[in-house]
Amino acid sequence: MSPSPISIPPSSPIADDTTDDNVLQPFFVLHKALPQKCQRKAAGSTRTRRKIDLPHSSPKSPEKSDAVASSVGPNDANHERLRLEAFNMTWSKIDTTIKEVLTRIHRNLFAEVHQWALESFLALKSGKPRHALEIQSPYPLLDNVICRQIPTAMILTKNAEFVDDMLTFQELGEHLKYKGCHIANLLSMDFCAKDGIAGCLRSLLRQLVVDAPDTADMSVLSSWYCEPENYDHPVIIVIDDMERCSGAILADFIRLLSEWVNKLPVIFIMGVATTDTAKKLLPSDALQHLQASKFTLGSPLERMNALVEAVLVKPSFGFNIGHNVAVFMRNYFLGHDGTVISFVRALKLACVKHFSMEPLSFLGIDVCDENEVFLHGKCDALPDTLLKYAFNLPSCKRGKDCKNSRDDLGEGLSDLRKLLKAWSSVILCLCEVGKNNKIQLLDIFCEATDPALSSLDPSNHKLERLFNGQNLAEGRLDFKGGLIGQLVHTVRELPLSSLIELLDLWSIHTEELYEVHGEVRELQSVVKSSNSGNNLKERQIDCHKMSMSLCAGRTSLSVNGKAAALLDNMVRKFLMPIECLCFHEIICFRNVDILQSALIGNPRRNIQVDLMKSTTYIKCSCCSSNENVLSPTMHDTSVMYNLAQEHGDLINLQDWYQSFKSTVLSTNKLKSPLQHSPMSKKVKSSPSESEASIQARFCRAVIELQIAGLIRMPSKRRPDFVQRVAFGL
Amino acid sequence: MFEQRLDSKEATIAGKDIGRVEMDLRVGEEVPMEEDDEFMLSRNYFLAKEAGSTSRKKSTQKLSDIDLIDEQVLRMAVSAIKPKHEKEIESLIKSYKDLYSKWLFELRCGFGLLMYGFGSKKILLEDFASTALTDYGVVVINGYLPSVNIKQVVITLAEVLSDQLKDKRKNSTGSKSRTQQPFRSQSIEDLLSFLNLQLPDDNDCFICVVIHDIDGPSLRDSESQQYLARIASCSLVRMVASVDHVNAPLLWDKKMVHTQFNWCWYHVPTFAPYKVEGSFFPLVLANCRNAQTTKTALVVLQSLTPNAQSVFKILAEYQLANEKEGMPINALYTKCRERFIVSNQVTLNSHLTEFKDHDLSLKEFLVASFQIFSCCC
Repeated sequence: MSPSPISIPPSSPIADDTTDDNVLQPFFVLHKALPQKCQRKAAGSTRTRRKIDLPHSSPKSPEKSDAVASSVGPNDANHERLRLEAFNMTWSKIDTTIKEVLTRIHRNLFAEVHQWALESFLALKSGKPRHALEIQSPYPLLDNVICRQIPTAMILTKNAEFVDDMLTFQELGEHLKYKGCHIANLLSMDFCAKDGIAGCLRSLLRQLVVDAPDTADMSVLSSWYCEPENYDHPVIIVIDDMERCSGAILADFIRLLSEWVNKLPVIFIMGVATTDTAKKLLPSDALQHLQASKFTLGSPLERMNALVEAVLVKPSFGFNIGHNVAVFMRNYFLGHDGTVISFVRALKLACVKHFSMEPLSFLGIDVCDENEVFLHGKCDALPDTLLKYAFNLPSCKRGKDCKNSRDDLGEGLSDLRKLLKAWSSVILCLCEVGKNNKIQLLDIFCEATDPALSSLDPSNHKLERLFNGQNLAEGRLDFKGGLIGQLVHTVRELPLSSLIELLDLWSIHTEELYEVHGEVRELQSVVKSSNSGNNLKERQIDCHKMSMSLCAGRTSLSVNGKAAALLDNMVRKFLMPIECLCFHEIICFRNVDILQSALIGNPRRNIQVDLMKSTTYIKCSCCSSNENVLSPTMHDTSVMYNLAQEHGDLINLQDWYQSFKSTVLSTNKLKSPLQHSPMSKKVKSSPSESEASIQARFCRAVIELQIAGLIRMPSKRRPDFVQRVAFGL
Repeated sequence: MFEQRLDSKEATIAGKDIGRVEMDLRVGEEVPMEEDDEFMLSRNYFLAKEAGSTSRKKSTQKLSDIDLIDEQVLRMAVSAIKPKHEKEIESLIKSYKDLYSKWLFELRCGFGLLMYGFGSKKILLEDFASTALTDYGVVVINGYLPSVNIKQVVITLAEVLSDQLKDKRKNSTGSKSRTQQPFRSQSIEDLLSFLNLQLPDDNDCFICVVIHDIDGPSLRDSESQQYLARIASCSLVRMVASVDHVNAPLLWDKKMVHTQFNWCWYHVPTFAPYKVEGSFFPLVLANCRNAQTTKTALVVLQSLTPNAQSVFKILAEYQLANEKEGMPINALYTKCRERFIVSNQVTLNSHLTEFKDHDLSLKEFLVASFQIFSCCC
């Protein structure tokens, strides 16, 4: 991983400040922000995207030999700013898209809930006092003795992990707010036994009443509701994770609100995992105050497919992921916790890493812009060092014999855009076929990005070939046996009615892919003409069966065959994995190791590896490089941990001490921990100072292992043993 | 609590393996290396258990067999340990300077940084904060200390942020400064919503919280972690933290990890000694009874009434000022009366009896009809 070029103030000497008073302060202010920088930022922040000025190339800029990230020269601070701005723009676009997609998926549910809320509100209103004074007066609580019920929407979440649905509930709240309801989102934390009912009431008031006093008083809420702008709208309380709430507090809250419900039209929306949740959590007297209706959320896989389509397949963001990253993210999604939110987080981290590591990533936002003026403008303004860097990219080196001019870069990038568009059209066509087969888009995406599936030698690959499509047939993309092969096969067996629908969808997806679009239209007309000849009954007959019976189904069979051939052709011509394209590094993130290590820290393994192989980090000349040999000069804690490996789950302190002592005192003899024997008693008694220092070193190493959580201190029951906690990496 | 979780991690590993394998069969991809690791982990656990049961029979060595030196000498020796590989460690820490720019970039993109790896990361984090984060206010929390008051931290954060925003307002035109309640009298919810303000024009204005040992003893409880997570999720706060415990991730649930802390992990072993962090741990070769007493004395002291605590405080202060002699009971009584801690000798005596009963290492001397108390805690 090469360090990226960034502006860091001149390095300060790393001082050992343990004598500082601050070390014993629970917290302290290290420093405050420098005022002048704020000013600069305030001025800079008003700039809009199109005003981003590229620092012009300076012929005098020093060039370093290794033209990777470190080669950008003196203007790197500006480029870093550009990359940061580009990231912010790109991510805000992706984020908005994700939100839109998720809202679209839940649109029906939201509308249903809204309709239900309105109906419930009307029902509540029918028994409601009409005068504001009546609402505000605390007594009588009820005008009739019949138990009042609070309308409650129990929304069943299909997720094992609740974290994914938080966003959904937040959006549901926003949707209902937009429709004119008063919304309060209460968290499970608000219903904790420690704060009692006051905690959730305070939170409710805080969200509804502006400048709410810090007292939990229902009368504040009732007088707020009587204000003309608040009156006559339902008050909806969203509790996203009911199961985590304290049952007793929630029950109190429900009882309290049920007393007010004829004055304050309160409606609950609660997220539950099963229908039994409420029964388990609440006592029956609280339960009877709830008038429950059930709603169900969509599954995470459904959301995932929609997300992949909108974010990864459509190339409109200037950021994409390579095959390894895609496979990692898919496994992370399926194997980690199956939450969309973790996938989105992984994607964001990949995006940050890309923009932080790739010097030219700021060009990405313009790569996907139809208007090429900005792209060419930016390419023209690139300094020589960056230009050289661009043409030294591996994808460019292997494919091009161009003159390395700025125009070539601009051309190359606009070609990349065109190719990506074609690629995404084909994926969408495949996805439509996959829907019939219940094949997930994420799987298709992973396969389609795999450069290994293409048997084309990337070193011989030239951009021009792709569009001509002449040599590609020779390359024979081998998708047999894979998902894509299956999909092509599926098309052959589709019933005619599905085929017609499929072709309609294809014609939408290939609108901008003129070559294919013509063929699709042609095929559509053939299908329709053959279809019009058949009667309604025949239309529903599976063409596969027709081929089996060898009767009058030849036309439709050939239509299926043609459609399959068309798909096959599209795949061969245009489904070129992004990693085979020129300049793809600028928009494609491929470094799966970096993503994985940043996303999933593995302290349990890595801290142990640090200790077992300390010499790989402390590169000194004195310690042996052989892993199995402990040398007395090695880091004490490392020696101790290596020695601890010989013991079982309990380590006898005396044994451990003696073996440590013998290791650190052995001057020249290097000893293997595996051949340890209790010869330690033979060690000659050394001077008392040395004994003290060895004991001190032993104690400190034990403390350090304790801090790392690798051992536990002796207990009263076993005062002579420490306990090992971690076993193996 | 932490140790219990740690045990449960070990216990559930075998079950987890099965779940993972099934998941991977479904995925149909190559099984990641982790699976092997986890299998090895459970295998090693049982092997170690086995080895433990045999070695326990073998090894009956007592700690007292070691020629233990005096605790004071040992403490001196600990503070005088000659550091090994000083230069190498320094250059290792310096090598991370190259990453500062990346770290800053990620902070500016809204991620939090979590550093792990063996060795104290105190110097590294503070060096990063004082070189790369000069444009932002930085508050450091020492999580390795036994107690940290989160509310005070939030107040300080709000003050630092407020100063930063004021500076910004001075420089930009057209915005008015709002008069508001002093932060000290605001509730933690108000303070958090202040830290979560949405600034329309600038997304590069934030303050940084550097937390040494976010898994430290004072921050290990779930309430502190919940508050820290809420601080981390505020739009105007970025968090840089370090963890040292191998099971630190068990502190957080999915919500905290995915939506609040938003960590970007970095493995940065420094091998620097845990000087300050380790100063609160007992020495294993020091008299173990002593360590226990200090711990139990603390528990006893905490459970005493405030007045009894104050009596002990007076006694302890006197003892610190006069190391060799004890405090005459009359002097103690007078001092306690002056401070309205006790009103009569009987009450004082009952407090003193309680100290003695609970083994607060109180020595009693009767010298020439003067009762003198000396505190050896």
